[in-house]
Amino acid sequence: MSVSPSTRTRIRTISAVALATVVLASCARNAPQDTWQPQGDYAQQIQDLQWWVFLIAGIVGVLVISAVTYAVVKFKDRGQPIPEQSHGNPLLEYAFIALPAVLLAVIAVPTVATVISLNDTDNPDCVINVTGQQWWWEFDYPVAADGSICGFAPNAEARTIVTSGQMIIPTGAKVVISGTSRDVIHSFWVPRLNGKRDMVPGRRHTWNFEADQPGIYAGQCAEFCGLSHANMRMEIVALDDADFQAWIDNQLKPYEAPEDGTLAAAGEAEFIAQCARCHQVDGLTDSNGDPVVAHPEDQVYSGAAPNLTHLMTRNTFAGAAFDLLNNDCRDDVWNASPAEFGPRYLEGVTEPCLNEIELKEWLRNAPAKKPMYTDPALLEPTDGLVRGMPNLNLTEDQIDNLVAYLLERK
Amino acid sequence: MITTGSKLLIGSALAAWAFAAIYGVAQEGALGTIGLISVALGLTLVAALNVFVSDSNVSALDHESFETAPAAQATALPSLWPLLTSLGLVAMTLGLATYTVIFVLGVIAAAAGAIEWLIQGWSERASSDERFNRHVRNVFADPLELPVAGAIAFGVIVYAFSRVMLGLPTKTATVIAFSVVGGLVLLLGTVIAMRGRASRTFVGGVLGASAIVLIAGGTVAGLVGERETHEHETPADLAEANECGPEETHADADASQTVAAKSSVFAELTFDGTELDTRVPGSGGKFDTLTFPRSNPTNVLFHNEASEPARLVVEMHPAIDDNGDPVGPERICTTLVEEGGTQFLTLVFTRPSFALAAEGVGYEFYVPGSDATVAVVVP
Repeated sequence: MSVSPSTRTRIRTISAVALATVVLASCARNAPQDTWQPQGDYAQQIQDLQWWVFLIAGIVGVLVISAVTYAVVKFKDRGQPIPEQSHGNPLLEYAFIALPAVLLAVIAVPTVATVISLNDTDNPDCVINVTGQQWWWEFDYPVAADGSICGFAPNAEARTIVTSGQMIIPTGAKVVISGTSRDVIHSFWVPRLNGKRDMVPGRRHTWNFEADQPGIYAGQCAEFCGLSHANMRMEIVALDDADFQAWIDNQLKPYEAPEDGTLAAAGEAEFIAQCARCHQVDGLTDSNGDPVVAHPEDQVYSGAAPNLTHLMTRNTFAGAAFDLLNNDCRDDVWNASPAEFGPRYLEGVTEPCLNEIELKEWLRNAPAKKPMYTDPALLEPTDGLVRGMPNLNLTEDQIDNLVAYLLERK
Repeated sequence: MITTGSKLLIGSALAAWAFAAIYGVAQEGALGTIGLISVALGLTLVAALNVFVSDSNVSALDHESFETAPAAQATALPSLWPLLTSLGLVAMTLGLATYTVIFVLGVIAAAAGAIEWLIQGWSERASSDERFNRHVRNVFADPLELPVAGAIAFGVIVYAFSRVMLGLPTKTATVIAFSVVGGLVLLLGTVIAMRGRASRTFVGGVLGASAIVLIAGGTVAGLVGERETHEHETPADLAEANECGPEETHADADASQTVAAKSSVFAELTFDGTELDTRVPGSGGKFDTLTFPRSNPTNVLFHNEASEPARLVVEMHPAIDDNGDPVGPERICTTLVEEGGTQFLTLVFTRPSFALAAEGVGYEFYVPGSDATVAVVVP
């Protein structure tokens, strides 16, 4: 069938545009989850391996495509007589067995070595427990026998630190996470620091991380886990030793109640009335002086909700799906140089930098911002328990009070 | 002319009527009178028939009658189907007055008997060749009879075997029984293989004898009843009854000392007789306290390296509901673990440690009868 010149031109143009699009798309810069920009030892090992494999696979691919294209073009049926048929060519056959075997061996040896190295969790400098839940990540830092937390001796009485969304680690340290899930299978993936590791309910999986420099390394859940799987994100924040020590000490600071008569004080009361059913703030007491203990197991199907004790020391919320910092402040922190990053991060979220719009929208109607199973009419399969944060139908005054209260959670 | 047989039957009928009259008058109409009247009526009917057919005798000189008389025709083959049908009808009648299952069985028996009787009756008139008639009967009846007979036989054998197994008193006897059965099957197979070709009689005899033994055994075992099964407490029952102590209980008898799970425990606790040593897989350091995530099922392994049996216990300190009842178990424990044994424990902590601290308590693992403890923190 012959093709008209104009059609041929059109096909060529479309092909060129498509090819250019693909090529140019690979030149994206500042992609926070770019696996081709490793920032730690483990990610570097993966990068070193994948270059070799990519190179070999690329060469083989080019050769095969070239050979096929040559055969298709050269021996196209133009009415010539069928050539004499031959049967078998031992040299070629042996070559096509030996060569792939050699290539596979060349690929397999470093691959196996890399896999073994990536899974070696002996002698960690820091151990962090990670728990995945629809649709956020919880991190807790246990206290070791010598009273240290993540290899650092706190300047206050040591106790377990609980946070969510952002996992803080010291730079240059071998950090082992021991992860599980409360509900479905999730996968912990911070591309610039290491590969993926599934978090499976009922099981404990360990994985290594090491960051070369201070900074924020973005990640996300890599195993489909339900309605808001795409919104289940996390960041690993690496701080140098001094800053990490400061972070630990800050996390162990006792609770500071807001001043009487302030919006924050009203917010504290609102928090106890509304939010403390699920969210824990350590040290919060009621009017009788009794500790306020959240009971998320009575409200949430998976049994827990993020601890908000030091919410404003991290700069994302709602499963790290939304920023607590407004755009300007966010750029200041996320794009800071390694030398400047630590102090800027430790500043936390201040009132001028608060992303008030985002936080208020969340408090106003959380399911509208992040799809979750909270519609009371649809909760029969979970015995009336929610998956995610429901719409609390708060008034604007209540929201203002809560924002003021949360702003002081540093 | 009244034939000899007719004379006998007429005389019997008259005698029966006489006896019925005498008995009825003497006994003033008792139940036996009805029986005698029934006999007299029957005899009268038979006598009348016999008079009509003249004893069914055919003159030896009457050649035509010799061949066409009913007595000269081939009789129907013996058959149990009429009997089965009548038994079915009786069972249906009885079942209406007693149990539904008897009625249902009666329906099945009557239907089966009637269908088989119809098939047999039809096949017997199919031709004058008896062999062909049998063949035709089998063509129609086999697709129905063989599967049903097979299913019934299989069901009977399986049921009999199950009664035998349930009736055997101990596990040892069960092992012996299986060994005997297996040995017999092996012996039979060996004999058949060595003989080269076993005759149908031999195989049929062996199978038949085995089936009879099995059915007989099953019947006896079914009548004797199942062996008594003892209810054992579980560790959950012990925990509820506050019996997670150092003493051995029913729940500990025959408890497994090994664990199939090879990984994914949060921690391993090893008891050496005085202390509980903890190891958190994936962590090179030691932890005096174990940190468990809240509301998350978490597994721990308990190894006992002490010379005495020991169990691992953890106090759960559950919340109290509005009625004052605990929400969840108060403690969880393993079964008693022998020296060198391992047990698995799955825990879910729903309350944070600081809530317990306000009540003056805390989570901890301990081994009853020793001072070994490991604190647990739930943030």
